[in-house]
Amino acid sequence: MIRRELRIIRQRPVYIVGSVGVIAFCSLFFLSFLQKGLPDDIPIGIVDYDNTSTSRNFFQQLDATQIGQSVPYETFAQAREDMTRGKISAVCVLPEGLNSDIQANRQPKITFYINGLYFVGGSLAWKDLLQMVNLTSGAVQRQVLRMKGYNDAQIMGMIRPVDIDTHQIGNPDTNYSFLLSGMLIPAVIAMCVMMILIYSLGAELKFGTSRHHLMPSGGSMGPAVGGKATPWTTGSSATGFLVILLLYHWLGFPIAGSVWNMFLAMFLLITSTEAVAILILEMIPIPRLALSVGALFSVLNMSLAGFTLPTEAMPRFIKAFESMFPLRHYYLFYSKEVVFGTGFAGWWKEVVAFIIFYFLPLLGIRRLKNACINQNFPKD
Amino acid sequence: MRFLRKWFKDAFEIMANELRQISRDGGLLLIFLGAGLVYPLLYNVIYWNGILSETPVAVVDDADCQLTHRYIREVDATRELSIAAKCMNMDEAVRLMEDRKVNGIIYFPSDFGEKVERMETATLSIYADMSSFLYYKNVLIGTNFVMLHEIGQIQVERYSAAGMTGKEISQLVKPVGYDDNNPFNRAFDYSLFLISAIMMLIIQQVMFYGMSMLAGTQRERNHSIASLPDKLEGHGVVRVITGRGGAYWLIFAGIGMYVAFIVPAIFGIPQRGDFVQTLSMLLFYVTDCVFFSMTWSTLITRRESVFLIFLSMSPICLFLSGCSWPVIAFPKFWKWFSYIFPSTFGVQGFMNLSTAGGDMAAAQVQMRSMVLQTIIYFFTSYFAIFVENWVIRHKEEIRERQDALAKKVGIDREEDNRIISGDSTASVR
Repeated sequence: MIRRELRIIRQRPVYIVGSVGVIAFCSLFFLSFLQKGLPDDIPIGIVDYDNTSTSRNFFQQLDATQIGQSVPYETFAQAREDMTRGKISAVCVLPEGLNSDIQANRQPKITFYINGLYFVGGSLAWKDLLQMVNLTSGAVQRQVLRMKGYNDAQIMGMIRPVDIDTHQIGNPDTNYSFLLSGMLIPAVIAMCVMMILIYSLGAELKFGTSRHHLMPSGGSMGPAVGGKATPWTTGSSATGFLVILLLYHWLGFPIAGSVWNMFLAMFLLITSTEAVAILILEMIPIPRLALSVGALFSVLNMSLAGFTLPTEAMPRFIKAFESMFPLRHYYLFYSKEVVFGTGFAGWWKEVVAFIIFYFLPLLGIRRLKNACINQNFPKD
Repeated sequence: MRFLRKWFKDAFEIMANELRQISRDGGLLLIFLGAGLVYPLLYNVIYWNGILSETPVAVVDDADCQLTHRYIREVDATRELSIAAKCMNMDEAVRLMEDRKVNGIIYFPSDFGEKVERMETATLSIYADMSSFLYYKNVLIGTNFVMLHEIGQIQVERYSAAGMTGKEISQLVKPVGYDDNNPFNRAFDYSLFLISAIMMLIIQQVMFYGMSMLAGTQRERNHSIASLPDKLEGHGVVRVITGRGGAYWLIFAGIGMYVAFIVPAIFGIPQRGDFVQTLSMLLFYVTDCVFFSMTWSTLITRRESVFLIFLSMSPICLFLSGCSWPVIAFPKFWKWFSYIFPSTFGVQGFMNLSTAGGDMAAAQVQMRSMVLQTIIYFFTSYFAIFVENWVIRHKEEIRERQDALAKKVGIDREEDNRIISGDSTASVR
């Protein structure tokens, strides 16, 4: 059984390209694309109507921040147009008389505009500008208080009576790659596993070889499907383990728990996805349609796992479906093992959920067997 | 003149023929209509709210004074956060966070109140669950806004204790004010940026999958997308490309308008752009997608294999559009790579024109790039058809080469076929 499958794989390069090739390419993509971890030097347009030392100082200070990069503009209209174009992430207007108004205690106002459509750039620019304005305020306060004769320690207590010490559990530097690569690559693996298994099982139906496929197992469906899935499970688990090793060992992504447990998570993700793939083909033994459904399932898998927009923010009737998706359980497993390092006590429920997926193919195994024998479904 | 008339007649016939083929192919119709019409709705529903509000946090208040009580009340009142639990100690709070009952912890050390009394800087700690950036963002924004507000409050108290008057105090507390505007996406709504990008991406991907499926099907049946109608006697490749392209263009002009105008209207996504300008941008994009798909679909040999290889391109294209990760932070190589896809420009153009409400100047770069892309892909699909025809004519030869190669590395292809499909069935390629 397994040997036969290996021969099929050898004959059709699409199998290797579709599994190892795609996973390798996507890993390469996400890891190198997000290599920086956090974007820096986001362009922020500054319209300086004041042209004094204060406003020039603001320009330079903003330029010096890690996140931002100042871009000078003559008029607001120009800057605004470039923001609409997405060339700059924000526009900050330093009004005329900024300096003299500060000196004269007239409380001038700095105005800024953010382009929130380019998401990460926009929110980082916003954060940077807020910080700059508060720093400017603080600097002015310090000057005034110094003139009033307070010493620096007193001044610090006065202008900053409360401060926040931020701890980011599991990702101390807000590195986007840790979370995104850490979830997107497994998502791609799940996608490939799903598509490949449907494809290879479906190909038997399509090319009319399904009866022959059943022969070695004496017509029993379990070994037939198992034999088909074994090389894939082995292959994709090996690839998956390599990815886990790559992320958490060689590249040094932070992990609070143990790499071994993530091996387990990866194996469970792959096998439970295979179970869903088999179920889909059982319900729809038409290769092309089953693949379309598998594709739909795979892309929803990514959205409903909730690692970008948490599922809490989705409508209730959508959130209700989250448990149907293996990647969701992988994500919960991940958050407990990688972020918090809880070990078994934290993620045993996810393991149970994964195992429930294993029973899904039993639902339609008879249907698939009939389809294999009678070949009575459309082939394309 | 006669030539022109014949040219158009031929192109039109090819287009009609292509449309007929599409309409006969149930699977293809399902992809075009099912995916093209349903996916946009589905994604809009998923990202309907788009904003994460009231993220639950736990509070550990070791200071337990009037100031911390006020702080906690104010945090609870923000849109971003809600106080889900008050814990006796950090262990308890950490356990809640590990169970994902809360996504953040606010900790007030026991000397918090005293420090404020002593006019020193009192520091509180926040802990954020980084398993989603939105949790972190909410915890950070919620507590920081309250902090700024508190700083203002405390300063007023302190300065008045130092003998300053109301006007003086306000001038000192807020020497420089600010006014922040986020005109296109007020609350950093997830749906606004992501939906605009996904909508445009759907057009490209659906068209590409559909066209590749048809190309694959014809290959399986030993036809070819490239085969020129006999009566053209080997001329008229341009007619074939234009004719076939026209068929898809018609279908996707429809789907495109549905995606760009009707779906946003249903879900209340702002359409700030000028209708005619957005429409012309859209039609350029569709044209670009047609030739893009035509070029790349020649690589597909089987009906279904397109899904295997190119499905994972969808999330990659989404990243390459620059809607989340800023283009300025792209590594050089991937920036060039992104120029392969029409979606890179289509997404940006649509966002600038329709969602942000710019005029044509705002999408100028994108429009130019799309025109350039269209021209390039037109020629590549022209070229691909020649290659295709060459391959068809040399099929036997290639077959022999493959067999020879297989023999060289010790693979017996016939034996393989026998094992795979039995003696009864014809050979499986």
